[in-house]
Amino acid sequence: MQERGTNRLKWAFVGPTLLFLLAFNLFPLVWSIVLGFRNGELVGGESRFIGGANYARVFTDPRFAEAIRLTARFVGLAVLLELLLGFTLALALQRDWKGKSAVLTTLLVPMMLSPAVVGLFWNLILNGNYGILNQFLGAFGLPTPQWTTDRDWKFTSILLVDLWMWTPFMLLISLAALNAIPKSLYEAAEIDRASTLTVFRRITLPMVAPLLGLAVLLRATDALKQFDLVMAITGPNDSKTQTLSTLLYQVVFRDGKVGLGASFACVVLVAVIAVATLFTRYMERLKGQPS
Amino acid sequence: MRWVARLLIGGYLLVATLPLFWMALTSFKAKQDAISLHPRFVPTLSAPAEADPERVTFEATTEAYAKLRAVQTGASASYFEHLGNSVVIGLLSTLLSVALGTLAAYGFSRFEIAGSKDWLFFILSTRFLPALAVVVPVLIMYRELGLLGTHLGLVLLYTAFNLSLAVWLMKGFIDEIPRAFEEAALVDGYSRLQAFFRVILPQARTGMAVTAVFCLISAWNEYGFAMTLNSSGALTVPAYFAGLQGNLEGMPWPQVAAGALLFVAPIVLFTVLVRRHLLRGMTFGTIKQ
Repeated sequence: MQERGTNRLKWAFVGPTLLFLLAFNLFPLVWSIVLGFRNGELVGGESRFIGGANYARVFTDPRFAEAIRLTARFVGLAVLLELLLGFTLALALQRDWKGKSAVLTTLLVPMMLSPAVVGLFWNLILNGNYGILNQFLGAFGLPTPQWTTDRDWKFTSILLVDLWMWTPFMLLISLAALNAIPKSLYEAAEIDRASTLTVFRRITLPMVAPLLGLAVLLRATDALKQFDLVMAITGPNDSKTQTLSTLLYQVVFRDGKVGLGASFACVVLVAVIAVATLFTRYMERLKGQPS
Repeated sequence: MRWVARLLIGGYLLVATLPLFWMALTSFKAKQDAISLHPRFVPTLSAPAEADPERVTFEATTEAYAKLRAVQTGASASYFEHLGNSVVIGLLSTLLSVALGTLAAYGFSRFEIAGSKDWLFFILSTRFLPALAVVVPVLIMYRELGLLGTHLGLVLLYTAFNLSLAVWLMKGFIDEIPRAFEEAALVDGYSRLQAFFRVILPQARTGMAVTAVFCLISAWNEYGFAMTLNSSGALTVPAYFAGLQGNLEGMPWPQVAAGALLFVAPIVLFTVLVRRHLLRGMTFGTIKQ
């Protein structure tokens, strides 16, 4: 069914959105590439073309390599632990009981909250001297580290708050994945007298894998951007917790090195685009499957 | 097995809710009770008879809430003014994202658009962009256009970053509306636009409400842009709170707790309202229930 004027009409529907995205996403991105080859500063002064000097610094300055390593470690640990914890909780929540939906909704609340605001309040909970966490641990004679200031514990602290916020996400998707497994499969397995372990390995795991894969990719792209919690708990310039985003902030807004920041941003973007491409491909495959 | 599951769920329920519960308690404390070396978790209505430093009680007060109206040292406006900024920016950008997103979703759902798949994935990929990676060009652009530190500046930016979510969610919802509805309307002599406004929009109401909630939450919680593109003019609550750090008089914890509680309360409410659509919202409509 093609009416006259349809061609113009359909672009009227999608055009504004596309223009918006080109102006606020694509245009700044392209400009970033240009800035990366110039020596711009945040305040004052004309910038000029300096070739690949910024990139040379990005690849030689140990701060950048360290931030990449640290972010990779953070993403790996956060995603893995959240997945394990979330999936275990989903297994525990599989059975239906009265009041389950209210409990589930309550469990999911942390992931909807503002990491910057809630993260700031976590500073009070984690405070080494008057924080409730240490008062609680101390009451049981457990070790009470200076969570946010001890160099060996800072990273763990941020990871813990991230687990608190995002385990619910993995729980939500795991539960959906478990619920989507047809009951008939389990009944068939029961007739075959398959052991619980076999059922888990041969039915449950392969059936939930695609959705868990989606959850992992979504969470990984998000964790890769980690900024709010680090800013709230240790600030942008702490070598023990400096993620890609906080290093970018430090370089651009504290050191004022706009050009250097832009070139680093471009390097980061290549990594983000790689993960995002993986994600969109994966999603295309999932959508292709009958569900 | 059953009691293991119960124990696990009960334990996690405590872990998930205790920080928020502590936030609520702290908001009713005086500052010295908030940072006492022994935990005080039993609110009382009168002052303690003996000032035992190891007591677990504290006198409940709403002082922290009253103090939210005052301007903190180092800040230029009170908490409520920043909350106002959050409300204005959140609502306007949500309105804009849902409006544009619904139009685009309808376009992609019902028309044959050259390269529509590529466009859709381009739209989705904008969601993965870290704010900090594009903030410099945006900053320069805004400085030229006079949008730095304005409500409009953040509204436009949040709209751009929420469009991916709005388009993908709305496309899922509109795809579910049978084409027969609008085809019947077209046969009845409606124009395409009339069919969209009178047939599709009423059918897509739930979808638009759900999409609006997710856009609002993401704008409400945003911190990176709010902080870097602002010094004071349109500072939202997350950026304002972060700015209180390093305060010479120490963090005003009861006020922070009170402000944070008021700030997250609407989100908790919205989470309950859209609980059936959480899965869909968090996965860009990929997983439907």
